[in-house]
Amino acid sequence: MAKRKKSDKKKRPIAVTIIAVAIGVLFLIRLYQVFEPLIRNNVFRTGMTGSLLAGWKLTALGSAFLSSATYLVLSLAGIVVLIGFLRLRRWSWVLLMAWTGVSLIISLVDYFFTRANYAVMASNVIIAFALNITDVQRIYGIRRDDDGSSL
Amino acid sequence: MAPASDRPTAPVTASDLELLRKFEPVVCYTKGEQFFPTDVDHYVKESSLWEHHPDGRDELMVKQGDLTLEKLIESRPAEFGAVRYIRFIEALDLAESARVLADQAVLRRKLGHYFHAGIGRLARGGILPRLLDGLFSLSFLLRGKVSAATAAAAELDYNEIFKEDKQYTYYGRVTRQNGWTMLQYWFFFCFNSWRSGFYGVNDHESDWEMATIYLYEEAGQLIPEWAAFASHDFKGDDLRRRWDDGEELKKAEGSHPVIFAGAGSHASYFRRGEYQAEVNLPLPGWVSGLIHSWNKLWTETLGQPAMNTFHIPFVDFARGDGLRIGPGESQTWSPVVIDESTVWVSQYRGLWGLFARDPISGENAPAGPMYNRDGSPRGSWYDPLGFAGLDKVAPPPQMQQKLTDNCAKVARRQEELEKLIPEKAAELQEKGARQKGMEGNPHLAKQYSALEKEINSLSAEVRNLRREESENSALLQSLTRRLERMKSGGQDDPRAHLRHLAVPDDPSQVLRFDRAAETWAAISLSLLLFAIAALIFFAPKYIWVGLVIILILFVVAESFLRGAFVQTVGRITLILAMLTALILFFHFWKWVIIAALVAMGISLMYQRLRELTG
Repeated sequence: MAKRKKSDKKKRPIAVTIIAVAIGVLFLIRLYQVFEPLIRNNVFRTGMTGSLLAGWKLTALGSAFLSSATYLVLSLAGIVVLIGFLRLRRWSWVLLMAWTGVSLIISLVDYFFTRANYAVMASNVIIAFALNITDVQRIYGIRRDDDGSSL
Repeated sequence: MAPASDRPTAPVTASDLELLRKFEPVVCYTKGEQFFPTDVDHYVKESSLWEHHPDGRDELMVKQGDLTLEKLIESRPAEFGAVRYIRFIEALDLAESARVLADQAVLRRKLGHYFHAGIGRLARGGILPRLLDGLFSLSFLLRGKVSAATAAAAELDYNEIFKEDKQYTYYGRVTRQNGWTMLQYWFFFCFNSWRSGFYGVNDHESDWEMATIYLYEEAGQLIPEWAAFASHDFKGDDLRRRWDDGEELKKAEGSHPVIFAGAGSHASYFRRGEYQAEVNLPLPGWVSGLIHSWNKLWTETLGQPAMNTFHIPFVDFARGDGLRIGPGESQTWSPVVIDESTVWVSQYRGLWGLFARDPISGENAPAGPMYNRDGSPRGSWYDPLGFAGLDKVAPPPQMQQKLTDNCAKVARRQEELEKLIPEKAAELQEKGARQKGMEGNPHLAKQYSALEKEINSLSAEVRNLRREESENSALLQSLTRRLERMKSGGQDDPRAHLRHLAVPDDPSQVLRFDRAAETWAAISLSLLLFAIAALIFFAPKYIWVGLVIILILFVVAESFLRGAFVQTVGRITLILAMLTALILFFHFWKWVIIAALVAMGISLMYQRLRELTG
């Protein structure tokens, strides 16, 4: 309990708030992406009307469910990271940076090969740059005060 | 810090040979070293003399068996661009190559010449340097190279020479400049086997290495003050250590500096250990400029630790656990005194081994002690003081006098200034008063303007004199303090002159890499190539994206093994973010500029309004 109190006392830089807002935006986008395939396949209006698999291949409905489930996992992960981040936990910085990296790769692949999602790209860029700010890295224990170098 | 009285001395009347013997070094080699300092006579007798012509022809001048030191220096005219060189090992055909390689293995078994690298050099660098290392290895297909069979034949021949003449030779030179007496020890090796024997940068026939001891004279005695060893990547001040720096400069029997020689490279180090040498790629100017700009952005704007990606790590093993030669050791030196009158030193300007046609010279043999590869004079020979950054340093007994002279000179100038400044200041005030008197008289406008120019000039002069006085005062204070310290016997920090200290790898740091990291280092480059091949075969449509993803995965895997996951993930994400930002700017530059202007406007307005409302 004492440890939690100590971390709560750390001053939260403005960048942390910006990142939290960006995560929030991404969460909303991902949430939309959870429901969008299901809406597109009329799941909410007509319910499950077909099978998810045709042999070893996914049907359109199956594909929609898989896509929806993936984005649901991403959204939930986003919430967990957001909670850890607001509580200034080191692991949340590492997870968020890795998550942003993966998300950037997916965004770039989408940009070059399918359809670009500029809102996601912009959010990721903001998060990546904000996470790189020295004060932010210091507050999450990523950069030491003495030598200024990354661990 | 040992006072000078505790140091070994030699009378100034001692002969050159006596001086050389008094301070000759002990050289410690690494276990597995195949070549030791030998004499040039036997080497030359086993060699042939060649000339490489600008049209690409190689012409035999003196065949093997006929060459002597006398024939080496015979006058032979040559055209511009020609390269004269000695060839220790004649060209080998396939059968001969196979035979010498087999004989080399037998010899090594017999002599116990085994070398274990331990923590490999590849595990000491990241995946990108390893990728560059692969390219460096491939570059030998285009560059000239000394073959493995040549290295093996050289090893066999050297052992034959050593059987005939079991001596370890150094060539000693004594020279005097600016109050210093310098003892140069030149070591000649038949071959540099750093690459073929010890995973290093290069191989070449013949090798010249050098160490210098700097002595000063006091009360009829010569006293050592500095020692400088030739080494990779270091020059000037960084090459020398002070005699009383016991931690850096080890001594045997009090008067013999200890050198730890790099395995195969024979480079000299002050401390035993394994040194990381770095080879920077010879990149075109515009590429270097781009890299410089990127590094600036990366470190200064983004605040990231510097990335030194475009270098290839090599290790110079100076373990000192092998043969030791010198006073107090089982093997001792056979000294030979040389100077400018030694004809093979001064009159042979060619290479002392094979000219491998390597454009970046790494595999070409070196020239002799007095010359560079292009035949120009070698700095360490004609300017041994400048070579170790000592040209600006006076011998200790003269230092105090030079400091006293300096103090007197500055004090004299201060006295001059103390008289001059009031005179000039008074003159300035007088002119100022005159100028004031002219005001309000339009008919004096011309004179007023001329006087104003004079006043401005005089004012600048007075200002400069006052600045000089102030600076001299600080200088005099500093010089006097130093003089007092010297008079009371105080010494400077022995390493104050060093800018870059050669430090061996920290063993605890090296041990951080476990077996998995070593194995990964050995196989990762090949795995990467296999993965790229698979990508081209199975998914050619996604080649570029696939390449980037594969590279990222490899770098992340590498970072796990090296304990640098957090740093690596941060770096990769940042690079991806910069790329994405560029794309976004490309598509939305108008919006980005509008947003930036609006943000700046709001920020300025906020600041001004806050100022207004107090």
